[in-house]
Amino acid sequence: MLTDNTIENIKKALTKYPNKQSAAMDALRIVQEEAGYLTEDALLQVADMLDMPPPELNEVATFYTMYNKKPVGKHHIQVCTNVSCSLLGSEHIVEFLSRRLGIKKGETTLDKKFTLSEVECLGSCGTAPMMQINDDYYENLTDGKIEEILKGLK
Amino acid sequence: MATVKINGKEITVEDGTLILDAARQAGFEIPTFCYQARLSRLGSCRMCIIEIGGQKKLQPSCVTPVMHGMEVFTENETVKSARASMLEFLLANHPLDCPTCDKGGECELQDFVFKSGPRRSPFSESKRRFHDKDKILSPVIIKNHNRCIHCERCVRICDEVVGRTALGSIGRGAKIMETSFMDSTLDCDHCGNCIEVCPVGSWMSLPYRYKARTWDLKEIDTVCPYCATGCQFTIGARNNEIVRVKSKITTGINKETLCARGRFGYNFIQSEKRLKKPLLKKNGKLVESSWDEAISFIKQRFGAGKKTAGIASARHTNEELFVFQKLIRDVFKTNNIDLDSRFANKWVTSSAIEVLNLAAGGISIFDALKAEVIFVIGSAISNENPITDYLIRQTAVDRRKTLILAHPRRFKLNSSANISLRYKPGTEGEVIKGITDFIEKGVFHGNVVGDISQVGEKFKNAKNITMFLGADILRLDNGTNVVAEIVALKGLLKKAGKNIIIQPLFDRCNQRGARAMGIHPLFLPGLKKVKENGMDCGEILDAAKKGEIDSLYILGEDIVSMYPDAKFAKDALSNIKFKVVQDTFLTETAKTADVVIPGASYAEKDGTFTNQEGRVQRLRKVISPVGNSKDDLDILCSIGGFAYKSAKEVFDDIKKEVLGYKDINFDALDGNGALVKGHGAENQGSRVKGQGASEIASASPRNDTSSNPYLDEYPFLLITGNHLFHSGRLSQNDDVLIKLLAEPFVEISEEDAKELGLTDKENVKVKSSEYEAVLKLRVVKGSQKGVAFMPENFDSVSVNQFYKKGQGIARVKIEKQV
Ligand code: SF4
Ligand code: SF4
Ligand code: SF4
Ligand code: FES
Ligand code: FES
Repeated sequence: MLTDNTIENIKKALTKYPNKQSAAMDALRIVQEEAGYLTEDALLQVADMLDMPPPELNEVATFYTMYNKKPVGKHHIQVCTNVSCSLLGSEHIVEFLSRRLGIKKGETTLDKKFTLSEVECLGSCGTAPMMQINDDYYENLTDGKIEEILKGLK
Repeated sequence: MATVKINGKEITVEDGTLILDAARQAGFEIPTFCYQARLSRLGSCRMCIIEIGGQKKLQPSCVTPVMHGMEVFTENETVKSARASMLEFLLANHPLDCPTCDKGGECELQDFVFKSGPRRSPFSESKRRFHDKDKILSPVIIKNHNRCIHCERCVRICDEVVGRTALGSIGRGAKIMETSFMDSTLDCDHCGNCIEVCPVGSWMSLPYRYKARTWDLKEIDTVCPYCATGCQFTIGARNNEIVRVKSKITTGINKETLCARGRFGYNFIQSEKRLKKPLLKKNGKLVESSWDEAISFIKQRFGAGKKTAGIASARHTNEELFVFQKLIRDVFKTNNIDLDSRFANKWVTSSAIEVLNLAAGGISIFDALKAEVIFVIGSAISNENPITDYLIRQTAVDRRKTLILAHPRRFKLNSSANISLRYKPGTEGEVIKGITDFIEKGVFHGNVVGDISQVGEKFKNAKNITMFLGADILRLDNGTNVVAEIVALKGLLKKAGKNIIIQPLFDRCNQRGARAMGIHPLFLPGLKKVKENGMDCGEILDAAKKGEIDSLYILGEDIVSMYPDAKFAKDALSNIKFKVVQDTFLTETAKTADVVIPGASYAEKDGTFTNQEGRVQRLRKVISPVGNSKDDLDILCSIGGFAYKSAKEVFDDIKKEVLGYKDINFDALDGNGALVKGHGAENQGSRVKGQGASEIASASPRNDTSSNPYLDEYPFLLITGNHLFHSGRLSQNDDVLIKLLAEPFVEISEEDAKELGLTDKENVKVKSSEYEAVLKLRVVKGSQKGVAFMPENFDSVSVNQFYKKGQGIARVKIEKQV
């Protein structure tokens, strides 16, 4: 169930768009910001608010890797594995992180601190390989650099 | 016009023609996956790529129009090798489990790979795998995501044609999945059109699962037995058992589409409950008998005494109905013959025949939909005529057109409508009058919810207007008033120089044909006026109640379940000395009969149906009648002593008496059928109009809802009709359709629900002066306040028990069930 606060914020967001459907991405962002991820119920409720068939809203939610469909840890590590990053070793980076954190991609550590995901191009190909942790980009990655970064995360 | 050279062959086509279509016209086949004529263009699968002279990159022919002077190659080495590569990519992720795939043998991927595909694959990566077990999404749909090639035909047909948008493309890249919301059946119509258009075995029919290999099927083209849209389909049978129904992209007005009833409603044919032997009433009990005994019993007893009558159902073929009226009229010498038992009276049905101009020739739905304004009243069309709903939806996309829907309930097509009007059932006449008054005087009265003036403006500004009239109007005891208002509106619009088409929307396959065959107390075959008026169904029951009917022949009609006052109908029937019921199941009516004779289902006989457009289509026999049941035509002929040997012979006689059928060649009827011509228009107008305008007026007091004494105690007007998954009482015998909806429900508007403190899906008590029952509630946003709906498809709670004869529309109250 969406909280009253979330509903209020979505309603406010709706006023910024020419029609309800165009607020889809914004509405999903609002839900995620407050709940951490998108549940089936939340999608149904948002679809209803936007007069949108639920499968269409789900298309949006699943197309963008930025929307979480499952709860994520405190630090959501998203490694780009698209062409440029993959040419420069993103596969190894995923493997390294996986070993270091003891989880497979798509999983969350038991202490709920880290989630590891693989994502499509994040538009930072010039500084590949790269990853995003929550809202920040970390670029030109090496094993050493990743160690440093992880140490810095509490 | 543009002249192009395709593989060296010159062809001239309309400007803007797609290269794909031009090539096909020139006789070159180009393989396609994502292209489907009636869907929006996607251009994503790249199967249809071709080379254009002077251009380096290959182009998708399904989205590229021709240009004058263009040179196109569809078969050269570059194209062939690109095609093979495209297929190779698709196969890289395809499980290739053809030996256990129901699509094997008619799979487009299989066929294209066989024809143009690579013979080897260098891919060594493991294939993507979404799941091990196929996903059952509904009682009729099963999905295998692993086989999907992402053409999105399913997603588009569900959205653009069916209007459901139950599917989406979930995820992205190689892991994309075309499926419903969370693999649920949320908002699905179970029409199976996604299955039909899927080029591979990703969407599959659950009832057909592992039933046959496609090449083992005996396939026969025939026509749907449910609503009067008259969809064409192909029945597949194996070892005298029907295993599937499939639509064909090449045939019928429906082409690749069908609704749930048509596609999955073939299981009643092989139902355990089918009548397989004649039954005779002995010592108050129906017991099995031989055919000889049953027939000679009927011959001996039927028609003895003063008054006889016959009531038929519109599910029968033209040939059967023609012979039935011969039996009633020529052998038993009476005009007491009527069709269906749900309708108000003969004046309502005859005035509808007049305004719908059924005596004139048929009009193709595609011509009717060319009008700029399309107005539908009196039919919850999305449920009653699903494929007509699809055709209207696809036309309404055109922004130059206006779609206006007038109905108390909100239904699927409303989301495609430009204007929706709501009204109380029984006030259809006021809606029409409001439009007329607005056009004529600029003002109108009446309690219509919605913008009548906007409707009036649209009517004023259009040159061509098509009005669709639904079967609801036939049920109204003030139906003649509605018709009179339509006649007035039509006259006004005609005077203003507009072209008006009025088309019927009928809920039984052969309602139109039945009238032409003379199943009406006022009309002979060809809609010629009778010399002496007969009694309609209501009058027959009235007379029966008084003990004035001696024998009644009921052909496929379930009067006890359908006549709008169940108790009265049952009482009246019990007063008839001798009743014959010919049907496929032991209906409530059959239980009251003295003789029950088992007829055949639509797949067990030959003949023709005439759909609501006036299109005559062939019904073809696929299997022999089950058990000891018989072809209905044979039964009627042996009782009446007619010498007809086949449906075709009857059709030849029909041609002599029903002029509009004169030019139709029974044997030549193909997937397009043939539109009837006029039955001799010269005496048409005067005949029906001259016949008792005053009788009509007096027979139908205006249904004044405001001053009704029932209204305070029973505030809801209860209307009925077919649910999308059902048709009359026949479909409840279908063990697949019944899984889609097993129980009746009562539907009210959100406004009413709020006022009564009721919520969706809770149990409520529905009570009229006659009957009460507990039903599940359905709440619909946007329906008319004060109106309740219940489907008429279930014996468990038969809606006609709430009705009281003479009350018109039933009145009920709805309460919380405590
Ligand atoms: S069965 Fe019909 S309504 Fe359901 S998903 Fe398929 S196309 Fe859509
Ligand atoms: S399920 Fe079938 S129709 Fe739908 S996208 Fe996949 S292959 Fe195409
Ligand atoms: S729309 Fe009518 S004719 Fe067509 S498949 Fe459905 S029930 Fe049959
Ligand atoms: S490919 Fe990794 S950021 Fe673009
Ligand atoms: S058929 Fe042309 S791109 Fe798919």
